[in-house]
Amino acid sequence: MRQAEDLDLGLGLLDHQLVDSEGRRCGNVDDLELEGIAEGAPRVAAILSGPPVWRGRGRLGRLAAWIVPGDTVRVPWEEVEKIESAVELRKTCRELRLGRGDDRARRWVERIPGA
Amino acid sequence: MRKIFQIALGILAAIGGFVDIGDLVFNIEAGAQFGYQLLWVVVVGVVGIIVYSEMCGRVAAVSKRPVFDAIRERLGFGVGLGALASSQVVNLMTLAAEVGGVALVLQLLSGLPYRALIVLGIVALAVVIWVSPFEWIERIFGYGGLALLVFAVAAIKLHPNWGDVAYGLVPHVDTPDKLVYAYFAVGLLGAAMTPYEVYFYSSGVVEEGWTPKDLGLNRANALIGYSLGGFLSFALMITAGALFLPLGIEPEFIGTVALGAQVPLGQIGLILALVGILFAVGGAAIDTCFSGAYNVAQYFGWEWGKYRRPAGAPRFTVAWVVLLVLALLVIMSGIDPVMLTEYAVIFSVVALPLTYLPVLLVANDRAYMRSHANGRLANTFGLIYLVVILVVAVSAIPLMFLTHQGQG
Repeated sequence: MRQAEDLDLGLGLLDHQLVDSEGRRCGNVDDLELEGIAEGAPRVAAILSGPPVWRGRGRLGRLAAWIVPGDTVRVPWEEVEKIESAVELRKTCRELRLGRGDDRARRWVERIPGA
Repeated sequence: MRKIFQIALGILAAIGGFVDIGDLVFNIEAGAQFGYQLLWVVVVGVVGIIVYSEMCGRVAAVSKRPVFDAIRERLGFGVGLGALASSQVVNLMTLAAEVGGVALVLQLLSGLPYRALIVLGIVALAVVIWVSPFEWIERIFGYGGLALLVFAVAAIKLHPNWGDVAYGLVPHVDTPDKLVYAYFAVGLLGAAMTPYEVYFYSSGVVEEGWTPKDLGLNRANALIGYSLGGFLSFALMITAGALFLPLGIEPEFIGTVALGAQVPLGQIGLILALVGILFAVGGAAIDTCFSGAYNVAQYFGWEWGKYRRPAGAPRFTVAWVVLLVLALLVIMSGIDPVMLTEYAVIFSVVALPLTYLPVLLVANDRAYMRSHANGRLANTFGLIYLVVILVVAVSAIPLMFLTHQGQG
C-alpha cells in the first residue's frame, strides 16, 4: 500500500486495473467501500468489482448493470499489496473470486484446437 | 547492429501498415477532385498521429497502461462506456469495410464471386490470427503493403507539374466547392489520425513489455514510420491528381485506385497495386479487429493479449471472433465498402476527442509518468491538435450532410 505519497482516490484508484499475485488481470476497481465517514475519519474498507456495482456509476452504468449478469466481489483493503498504475493484490484471483468471467469463457475457448 | 536491423524491420512494417482503406479512399478521391490542393492536410494529419502515437506509446511503456485503460480512468465509468460504445461502432464499420476491400481485390485478381470471397477472406483472416505469432502478422502484412510503393513510381511516371505539387503543401483554397473541400480535409485528417492505430499500437507496447528504455524506439517508430507512411499518402493523392482529375474520373471503386498504377506502368503496375492494397487492407483489418477486442477487454479489466494463447485470454478471444462475425454480417448485406469507409472515417472523427483528451491528461500526470511526463514540445503540439480535433469533430457530420458525402 502506498504510504509515503498522497493518493487521489478518484484519479489514482477508481476505475484502475486489478492484477492478482500471479500477474493476471482480473477486473477493475468499479467502486470503493468507505467507512468511518460519520466519525470524521474516513478510510477505504474494500474495493468493489462486478456488474451490480456499476449501478452507482451514472445513468449508463445503471443500464449496463441491468444488462450484464454477475456478482459483486468485495476485496478487503488488507488484500491490496501495492498501488502502481494498476492495483496489485496479495492473493490469486481464484482465492479472491475475481476474474470468473474469464474462467467460464476459458472452458469454451479451450475446446478449439490450437487454443 | 541487430537492434538497428530490428528497428528497420519494424519501421518497414509500419510504413506498409500505415495505409488502410480510409487512406486509400480519401487520398484518391481528394486527388481526383482537387488535384494536389489538399496535400497540406496530409502533412497536418501525419504530424498529429506522430504526436499522439508517440504519447500513447510513451504512456504504455512507462505505466504499462494502454489507451483504453487511460480512457476509463480519466473519463470515469459512464463517459468511458460511451467512448467504448462509439469506438466499437467505428471499429466494426472499419473492419467490415476492410473485409469488403479485401474481397473486392481478391475478386479483381481471381474473378470469383464477391460474396464467396468475403467468406473466404474472413476465414483466412481468422486462421492467420489464430495460428500465427504476433510479429509474423505484423511483418507479413507490413512488407506486403510495401508493394504500394508502386504508386510512388506511378506518380513520378505521370509527370505531375511539381510546382503545383509543391503549392499543394501550402494551405490554400482554389475552388468554388468550399464545403466539399472542407469535407475532404476533415476526411483526410480522420483517415490519418484513425484512433484504432493508437489503441493497437499502445496495446502492442504493453504486450511486448517495453520499458522506459525503449522510449527511443517508440519515438523512432512514430516519427519515421508515420512520415514514410504519409509519403505513401502523397503518392496516392498525386497519382489521382495527375491521372483522374484531368480525365474527370471519380473513383468510386477500389479497382479504380489500382488503375492509377496500371495506366503509367502497365500490367506489372496493376498487379503490384492490387497486392499492395490486399496486404495493406488485410493487415489493417487484423489491426482493427484486435483494437476492438483490446478496447472492450481493457475497459472491463479482462485478461487480454495476443501473446497469451487464445485460452490464456478467453474473453478477449471471444471478442475478436464476435467482431469478425459481425463484420461478416455487415458486409454481406451488400453495403458498398467505399461508402462504408467514408462513414467510418467521418464517425471516427466525431469520437476523436474522447480518445485523445484522456491520453493528453495521463501523459501529463507525474504520479503516473514520473520523469517521462509530457515536456513543453509534446504539450504544445498536443494542445494545438486537441483544438484541431475538436473543430473537426464538431464540423464532420454537418459537412457530410451538406456535401452529400463529398458529391457537392
